[in-house]
Amino acid sequence: MGVPFSIRGLDKKFGGLAAVQNVDLDLQEGVTTALVGPNGAGKTTLFNLATGHIIPDGGEVLLDGKSVLGQPPHHIARLGVARSFQDLRLFGRMSVRDNVRAAIEPTAWLWQPGGGVAARKREAAVDAALDRCGLTQQADARAVDLAYAERKFLSVARILATGARIWLLDEPASGLDPHSRARFVQLVRDAVAEGVTICLIEHNLDIVTELADRIAFLDRGAKLAEGAPQEILRDPKLIGIYFGEQRT
Amino acid sequence: MLFLQLLVSGIQTGAIYALTAAGFALIFGATRVFHVAHGATFALAGYTFLALSQAGFPWFLGAGAALVVAVAFGLFMDFFVYRPIQRHEGSFFTVFVAAFGMSIVVQSLIEIGFGRGFAVVASPLTRAHEVLPGLYLADIFWVAIGVALVMFGAVTLFLERTRLGIGLRALSENPELLRAFGLSSRRLSMVAFGLGSALAVPGAVLTAVTSGLQPAISAQVMLVSLAAAVVGGIGSLRGAALAGLLLGVVENLVVSVLDTQWSAAAGFVVLFAFILFKPSGLFGQAVAR
Amino acid sequence: MTAYLINLATLATIFGILAASLNVLIGYAGIFSIAHAVFFGLGAYAGAQLALQFIPDVLLACLAGGAISAALSLCLALPALRVRGEYFVAASLGLQMMAVTVFSEAHSLTGGHGGLVGIPPATLFGADVSAPAPFLGFALAVLAVLLLAVRLLMRGSFGRALMAIRDSESAAEAFGKDVRALKTLAVALGCAMAGVAGALFAFYMAFVNVESFTLEQSILVMAMVIIGGTATLAGPLLGVLLLLLLPAGLSFLPFIPPTQIGAVQQLIYGLAMTLLMIFRPAGIAGGRR
Repeated sequence: MGVPFSIRGLDKKFGGLAAVQNVDLDLQEGVTTALVGPNGAGKTTLFNLATGHIIPDGGEVLLDGKSVLGQPPHHIARLGVARSFQDLRLFGRMSVRDNVRAAIEPTAWLWQPGGGVAARKREAAVDAALDRCGLTQQADARAVDLAYAERKFLSVARILATGARIWLLDEPASGLDPHSRARFVQLVRDAVAEGVTICLIEHNLDIVTELADRIAFLDRGAKLAEGAPQEILRDPKLIGIYFGEQRT
Repeated sequence: MLFLQLLVSGIQTGAIYALTAAGFALIFGATRVFHVAHGATFALAGYTFLALSQAGFPWFLGAGAALVVAVAFGLFMDFFVYRPIQRHEGSFFTVFVAAFGMSIVVQSLIEIGFGRGFAVVASPLTRAHEVLPGLYLADIFWVAIGVALVMFGAVTLFLERTRLGIGLRALSENPELLRAFGLSSRRLSMVAFGLGSALAVPGAVLTAVTSGLQPAISAQVMLVSLAAAVVGGIGSLRGAALAGLLLGVVENLVVSVLDTQWSAAAGFVVLFAFILFKPSGLFGQAVAR
Repeated sequence: MTAYLINLATLATIFGILAASLNVLIGYAGIFSIAHAVFFGLGAYAGAQLALQFIPDVLLACLAGGAISAALSLCLALPALRVRGEYFVAASLGLQMMAVTVFSEAHSLTGGHGGLVGIPPATLFGADVSAPAPFLGFALAVLAVLLLAVRLLMRGSFGRALMAIRDSESAAEAFGKDVRALKTLAVALGCAMAGVAGALFAFYMAFVNVESFTLEQSILVMAMVIIGGTATLAGPLLGVLLLLLLPAGLSFLPFIPPTQIGAVQQLIYGLAMTLLMIFRPAGIAGGRR
């Protein structure tokens, strides 16, 4: 199996604080990896480094074996990496449909490449994504006017419609009610079945066990362990760090 | 000697700018409100002083009334303009436009009440003496420097030594610390607006007796405070004061090299350059993009 | 009376173009410029110089004005790419203040304070269109073409990408939008349209000077866009009508002395800006925010 996305020895300091230090991570094709760790472990920073939103101090980011280090986020996005944000960052004053449209239009000119055929394909992709995320009814509502769960699903719909091969999801299920959560899990499983490679940050260990094939455990910017969920979640030392930090 | 003369008047202008800009920086640092109506506070204080002086009241009554009006206007803005907007999660631009609207209102009210022209309060302090051959200095210079130093010292002491002052500094950075201190952010923002507005008063009174007031002064002061706050590093009191002083001096010294018309622009060239090349300003932390 | 109405309609058309152009920046791209009068001015000077030196063809003047403004819009795009929020507003203020000084000092290009006078009557492909009615017709045609262009662009992927950047720059980047290129283009588009409005304005007035391109003008246009409603096609036009008809309407009120009309007008639009921001931040034509 290939390794479409991989991170080698990534380093980032903010001021004197090492936010991420010497982290290696391989995302294997079709495999769902969960990043687990206490708050402030550097999980979101790792995403920001991987997508070019933050320039690392050292290390290497490889997409299909080629370095994308130092490339701007929009280049990396166009290579098939899509991400969500913890605070969603929807296009608030645009309609739900336009949120998805804006996410998948490859360029931003009056005429898109491919003409009418491509346009119809894109509209079909938008419709399909909205349908799978249960947002067809709300297609014309503005993103800011959606309910909480709907907003979370919209953030997934944007990614889904792009057809990206690699998804980086930052706490996509936090705050969802059980029913929505089940729908979300199904959505991710369907994507994986279609061959998408996923890396997700998640605090809810139930979701992690349900979705993840592998877990990478981060603490204070460093990767402490990586392995199958059973291994990691049974390691008393790691669980101690995880819950110890969470209680304070 | 021309250079020295310009430097001296630059320092006098700069002292006034420094205090006013420090008020703006204090408010922004504590509440994150870009209080562009600060110039209107300045104009209101100046014209209050002017009106009472023209009516024959002694200077300290006029200055006292100016202080009351300035603080009242600052609190009014906080209470009736900024808070309602912040309640419905208004963007920074909403706040900016609302504040700008109010400064236009104040400027036009002053225009209606006092006319468009310049108005000066006569004072014996402004009579210039020749202190060195070719260098003329009025007593008001020393008053301006003295007042600026005393006020700035007092505010610094307040911010560093009192519980309220420390809370004020923590307001924007660490709201949790506030709760530990038992201070409410509401009350602190009132203190910030009150104190920040009060800092505009000495400059207003001094301007009324020296270069004079006109309705458009509110826009002018707003621009200078804003420029000084950015150049100094947004939120830094020390930076704003220093940059205010710098802008005053630059504005006056430019005259010795270029036409007077360029003097107002000089400050903005500095501002523009800072934003392009060092947006964190002299003393600011790095700007989050 | 008809002459008066045609005149008013022409002015409204020119300001309609100007407001629509600022709406591209403020409403769609989220670039809060208060230096828009600068680009209006650049277009006016360019159009006037073309007419004075070479040929008074109004279409060519519009193209020249648009081209000059688009080229110099880099002065605005540069800070727009580097900083956001308050910093950008401060930068655009700086640009506005510098530009006014340059306009009034660069005598050979702008005629200085006196401005450029004696702009010849407008022609179009050799035919005289300087009479009020044909000129209005031409201005309306330009407005219609530009509005159509804005509508096409903003309803298409360009507009969606711009609005995405407005609502969340980092998310837009994460979905493959080239923020730098898009912002630069949006600024160029908005400024070019302002330049076209400026060229028309030069022919309409038959003279241009710096008075029309000051901070006050920038604020007036901003008020038009904001009061009417941002990010809508009709909003800015509505704002233009309201703010242009205001002084005309006020002059019919007997209890306001004619000398105060300017101040009362400012008072009303300042108040309208503040109240709208508090109670209806999306403007009159805008939806609930």
